[in-house]
Amino acid sequence: MKTQALTILLIICSFKLAAQNSEIHGDFSLTLQSYVEDETINAAAADEVVLNNAFLNLIYSSNNFTVGLRYESYLNALLDYDSEFKGNGIPYRYATYSIDGLEITAGNFYEQFGSGLIFRSYEEKGLGIDNAMDGIRLKYRIGKGISLKSFIGKSRTFFTYADGILRGIDGEIDVNETFGLEKQTKYILGGSFISRYEQRSNPKFIIPQNVAAYAGRLNILNGGWNYYGEYAYKINDPINSLQESEMNYASGSAFTNSITYSQRGFGVTAEVHRADNMLLLSERDRTGKAYIMNYIPTLSKPHAYTLLAIYPCATQAMGELGVQLDLFYKFKKGTLLGGKYGTKINLNLSRINALEGGNSMLNDNIDHTPALLSFDEELYFSDINLEINKKVNKKVKYNAVFAHQKYNKDFLEGKTPGEYGTLSSTIGVIDLSYKIKKGHTIRIETQALFAKEIDSVSKKQEGDWIMALAEYTISPNWFFAIQDMYNYGNEDESKRLHYMNINFGFLKGATRFEIGYGKKREGIFCVGGICKVVPSSNGLNLSITSSF
Amino acid sequence: MKRSFCFIILIGFLNSCDVLEGPYMDDTVNPIDTSGNEYVKNILIEDFTAHRCSNCPNAAREIEAIHDVYGSRIISLAIHAGFQFAYPYPLDTTVNPDQKFTYDFRTSWGDEMDTEFGLSASGLPNGMINRIDWTENGGDHRKAFSQWASITADELNKEVQFGININSTVVSGDEIDITVNTEALTSLSGNYKLVVCLSENNIINWQTDGSYEDSDYVHKHVLRSLLTSTWGEDLSGTSINSGDSSNHTYSLDLSDLENNNIQNSLSMNLGNGDSGGWDANNLYVIAYVYDVSNYEILQVEEKSLLAK
Repeated sequence: MKTQALTILLIICSFKLAAQNSEIHGDFSLTLQSYVEDETINAAAADEVVLNNAFLNLIYSSNNFTVGLRYESYLNALLDYDSEFKGNGIPYRYATYSIDGLEITAGNFYEQFGSGLIFRSYEEKGLGIDNAMDGIRLKYRIGKGISLKSFIGKSRTFFTYADGILRGIDGEIDVNETFGLEKQTKYILGGSFISRYEQRSNPKFIIPQNVAAYAGRLNILNGGWNYYGEYAYKINDPINSLQESEMNYASGSAFTNSITYSQRGFGVTAEVHRADNMLLLSERDRTGKAYIMNYIPTLSKPHAYTLLAIYPCATQAMGELGVQLDLFYKFKKGTLLGGKYGTKINLNLSRINALEGGNSMLNDNIDHTPALLSFDEELYFSDINLEINKKVNKKVKYNAVFAHQKYNKDFLEGKTPGEYGTLSSTIGVIDLSYKIKKGHTIRIETQALFAKEIDSVSKKQEGDWIMALAEYTISPNWFFAIQDMYNYGNEDESKRLHYMNINFGFLKGATRFEIGYGKKREGIFCVGGICKVVPSSNGLNLSITSSF
Repeated sequence: MKRSFCFIILIGFLNSCDVLEGPYMDDTVNPIDTSGNEYVKNILIEDFTAHRCSNCPNAAREIEAIHDVYGSRIISLAIHAGFQFAYPYPLDTTVNPDQKFTYDFRTSWGDEMDTEFGLSASGLPNGMINRIDWTENGGDHRKAFSQWASITADELNKEVQFGININSTVVSGDEIDITVNTEALTSLSGNYKLVVCLSENNIINWQTDGSYEDSDYVHKHVLRSLLTSTWGEDLSGTSINSGDSSNHTYSLDLSDLENNNIQNSLSMNLGNGDSGGWDANNLYVIAYVYDVSNYEILQVEEKSLLAK
């Protein structure tokens, strides 16, 4: 590891001397968190007292050449990270150059084919996921409107790499550009293929050593209309068990289709997607997010307000069917509903359910293929929400959200059916900003969640919540915030607790310091439908980010 | 030229997939015949589990399936641990009228191992195969049950380095003497330790199995007690020579051991003391030798406690 780093630094230095038209830039992040025991919220103390995640990205580029590396430090990793992130290292380093339309990358890279149905290599610090590839990637622009990407490599898991060797190729053609069509309607076609090789033996079952998946996509654009559709298929990909009930030789499939119409002040999107047995792993018999190599885009609205997001929807690559409708409208200035500054509204509906009889399953004794479209199955998640955004006058503006959500906690959190059932909650949020004077703004959020029990369940429910937040900003340098979440409706009276947090931050140029203190609730945190469990915690945190 | 180059790449890719057709199972598998050898390499699968963990029976069934293929070379221990699914429900009938999940399968030793190896912390079911791949910095020793079959197959091919013999004699009633002999079959440097424990097979009690709460689930090979300390006793100082042997005797009183578990349950978080009712006919002695530097278990042997 050390020699690698030295080599890269030497390369950077020598190029720095050689080339004039060059630059070095990077960014840095440090998060320190202390953990103290708090039995009331079931928070554990860390033996180390303070835990730390940090990284530094360093990128040098000169003309058509780039090298970069990332140093990562987990001493030891924060509790919401996988404990396999441990120690220091340079797990990410690469060199890229482009010449005559060909771009060559050696080392680590991130890549995505289409919307990711068969392949997405990415990092998301918030989730503690980094499945960067290590290998060779070629990108080639063959001619007008035609581009090809291909790679071979292994996928990162923590500080090592998964067993599977992944190979992929993706092509995209902009039909209008390639054939010189100057039509109003624009067509973009794409296709991708990925294959994983992994040597596995099994004394009882036959195992495919090479598992492939492919996908095709079409994007049609016409004026305000935009259609995007993608279909993906994966061949038999059983795990490596000796139990027949665990061996599934069925193929997998997924599709996503969306149609959008938008014009000034109005937009509507309708979307449907389905995934069946479509989990693609970098190592066949592993479990855990670190090994997932594909991505089924989420179908529900990502909420930023706390109480709207405490019961979030995790996408089920193994099997789900969902629909979404999203409407945006702006009432014009000077109209009855628009007032002086106009009013924006956003109505969003989504509903996700199980596949008929579960995902596809095939072995010597079972052969099940669920119906293609069946909306009358076990509900996983639904959300109806209306958001109103309005500027009242020069000093006051607000954002209000009303939502009704259903969340199948037993299924989505892997509980035993009957423990928690499906939670039904009605949520209201009002976010009000008031500009006191130039550079001074106070923002107040009030949120409430009212839960209703719809099943008879064996566990005590969390019930109702309220939350309030006050934030004072003195731009451009300072902010202070205080917030409290109160689970006043918990059926377990000993858990009717306050989760208070205080934060204060200082920003200067590209550097940001933030210090916070408080309690965090145990919960689920998602980005784009990929979720992780966040343990409860109590303590002080410090974060510093900066870039140059 | 460029285009044909691309086509060649494409064809190469398209060939790299193995679409299979049934039947997928090969019925002709027979356990490997090892009858001619004095000692054969055995495998210990430590299955960290819990009675209210709904996915855990899948791991137990995987062990049975592995056992079906490799026979007595596969020795397993079900270790109930973790703060989430392992603790028992109260014995108080007003709180728990159906008396579900009252049995406390946990042991202090199991908890100690779970803490050391971090199994339940990364989600149950979870296991170790001969504790391989442990390192100071965390390592990759925690294995999902879907990995067990292939790792077991690899481990079975390793050379056997220790021989272990277990004998037990009933002194009177609950008093039993157990002797364990170990023999190094090859010269090794490093420190090696011996751990001896008791497991009980076929305990019938509650278990969550998928979405079903099974009151008559058969719990196999449950860790009951350790006769040595959790981390065992020394077989060697800094090296061991081929042919070196050692003899260890343990005099035990089953009712004492059982009572010890009951007391232990009462001292644990949410413990209720419901961990008795042992059946000596289903008890097994398991002895294993491991390498102190990396915890790897080099050999394991199992014998029925009341073996004829």
